[in-house]
Amino acid sequence: MKTTTRPRVFALSLALAVAACAQILGFKPPGRKPFPHRAHVLAGASCVTCHPGAGQAGERGPLHLPDDASCRTCHQKPHDDRSCLGCHGGEWTALDAMQAREHLRFDHARHQGASRGNCVRCHAGIQEAGQNLRPAMAVCVKCHEHEGELAGRACDRCHVDLAEEARAPESHLVHDGDWLREHGTRAASSADLCSTCHSERFCGSCHGTEVPALPARLAFDTPGQASVHRAGFAARHAVEAKAQPGACQSCHQPEACLGCHDDKKVAPTGDPDDPARNPHPPGWVGLTSGENAHGRAARADPASCAGCHGGAGEALCVSCHRVGGVGGSVHPPGWSSRQSMSDLPCRMCHPQGAR
Amino acid sequence: MSCRLAIAAVLVAAAPASTGAEPYRLRADALASAQSPAGLVVLQADGSEGPFYAAEALIWLTGGVAGGGVGDAGGDSGEAEALVVAVRARRAGSEMRLGRLVVTAGGLRPQHMDGASGRVRLPRRFALEAFAGSPVAPGGDGRDWDWLAGGRASRSIGDWGSAGVAYLHRRDNGRVTSEEAAADAGVQATEWLDLSGRAAMDLIHGGLAEGQATASARTGAWRFELYGTQRSAYRLLPATSLFSVLGDSPSRRVATTTRWRAAPRLDLFADAGALEAGGDWGELAAARATLRLDDRGTGAVGGELRREGVPGASWSGARATARTPPLAGFRVALEGELAVPDDQDHIWPWGLLAVSREFGAWEAAAAVEASSSPTEVYRVDGLARLTWMWATR
Repeated sequence: MKTTTRPRVFALSLALAVAACAQILGFKPPGRKPFPHRAHVLAGASCVTCHPGAGQAGERGPLHLPDDASCRTCHQKPHDDRSCLGCHGGEWTALDAMQAREHLRFDHARHQGASRGNCVRCHAGIQEAGQNLRPAMAVCVKCHEHEGELAGRACDRCHVDLAEEARAPESHLVHDGDWLREHGTRAASSADLCSTCHSERFCGSCHGTEVPALPARLAFDTPGQASVHRAGFAARHAVEAKAQPGACQSCHQPEACLGCHDDKKVAPTGDPDDPARNPHPPGWVGLTSGENAHGRAARADPASCAGCHGGAGEALCVSCHRVGGVGGSVHPPGWSSRQSMSDLPCRMCHPQGAR
Repeated sequence: MSCRLAIAAVLVAAAPASTGAEPYRLRADALASAQSPAGLVVLQADGSEGPFYAAEALIWLTGGVAGGGVGDAGGDSGEAEALVVAVRARRAGSEMRLGRLVVTAGGLRPQHMDGASGRVRLPRRFALEAFAGSPVAPGGDGRDWDWLAGGRASRSIGDWGSAGVAYLHRRDNGRVTSEEAAADAGVQATEWLDLSGRAAMDLIHGGLAEGQATASARTGAWRFELYGTQRSAYRLLPATSLFSVLGDSPSRRVATTTRWRAAPRLDLFADAGALEAGGDWGELAAARATLRLDDRGTGAVGGELRREGVPGASWSGARATARTPPLAGFRVALEGELAVPDDQDHIWPWGLLAVSREFGAWEAAAAVEASSSPTEVYRVDGLARLTWMWATR
């Protein structure tokens, strides 16, 4: 008895585990099932049997979605008293169709001729997937090249209001992969295309000169958001800045470091009795090359030096590195510049054009 | 400040009056933090008149945002800052924008300015863009003779690519601080392969200021990206800075990002690459997974392991996130991270527990955030946000 029960228990457990995994991973979602379009087509029902009048529908008007009464014209003895579409139909299918009606200028009647009455020419895959009634835009451009509209960014010929629609593209301009890194390159070549969906303030919320809080900080209840400063950044920022010289200056003014460190009371005081707040290690500045770690560090990330020693603090460097000073030239071999010796910053170390 | 807000009000008022058919949207977010103490109100509005004219505004009202707020706007007193106030006119692919706006043109860095920007389509798929104005200065203290101007010429190549060149000249207080030329290009080489790149050249010192190139391939559930970036720190400083004459060793990064949609609700990601800073090379490696708890992904759990940095500035870390699907309009979110720097004895934990709920046009959220960092042994903060949205057509 025992020998036959154990494999059955194991098999049952395995089946339950697989079913649970399949549901969790989305292979077989729990809850409502997509409508079995395929079964109905195989049973001989045409599209307009359940969606009467859809072929003549204009831009406005009813959606021509079936209701319980239309189901009962064939299923005269339903197995349940509840609404048919409460179980037999995707959870979001009707809502998606309503939103498509609201946000798209689309006339079914005008497409009757081109599709020769074959709904599946546009609603491709509906038999199998049964879920998405709204065709992807890739389906539209199979027939309509929309070359002029795409070049002229005239999306409003079909989309009533893309900003209000707030729907991510599924078959074109897909924001996939590491979009945070990639978006700059894409926006560089087609900023006007971005603006068909994104408003000016969408860019300004991050790229504005003064941004008190990034959008991800404002949306603190949405974890895992892609952001240039991911959550927990305050602790990591010194390490990350050092590993990516110049990255901070892509957005921040050099003096932003000192402003924030002053607020936090972690800026160096200049007090020799307060070595804990001196960010430089021993051997930072000295009279011999072996004691001068600051030169290499400055070349690796001059922006971090400017963060504290910019503006009036530049005089500290000039005192040693001016022409004839003990610090010698700061320029790397082969240095060239179009700046005039009489202009800033050249004249600070090259008085009267001294070389 | 009052002058700026007055200009903002005039520009928003200049937006065409409602015809009852066009959308008008308003949004207000109020964020309060127990630490600092700090408060922030974000006001957003936009509206349009037909397909051709639109106006929008984004205004920050801050009170005591000191350090806790990310960014450069320190200060203990209340401040108002108009971040974007712009009107736009568009017709047949050409457009004109006026006001305070962010300009992106080819490979140039985005510029935040008060001014005008225009784009016109030309025959043979050419397009010209031009912009000019006064750069927005931190603290709102613009100086005389702060101005910038630039433009971009571009051409579409069939329906599979485009390329362009751009130029920027910027002066602060009358002195040249930046002069750049940039090039950008993007092509869809095949149905599954995209190539794109941009490069900005520093014309004052001669050399590459910033560049990036990416190749993206996708097939079925897989997506693969190979990218490289180079950035020269001293070329990104204003040319009037003494530190812009040092030269530098550019920082570089070469890496791959791979995504595999392993199941309808499960995405797996892997990053691997190398980075260089100050002549030292380091590594970049990350693996993360996201499991959506419902078809729309409103609920999800995720985990990540990461290792990156160069010698002397590297760290390893683990992160976990979870958010529940909406339950009667109520959501709970949890996020935590443990960062371990290589050359320090400490670890830096960070965690946040948030709840939020929608009430029609209103949304309220509250959170407790706790962390330990190099500057604070521990920090516990309370956050609250109230959002109101309104739209009409």
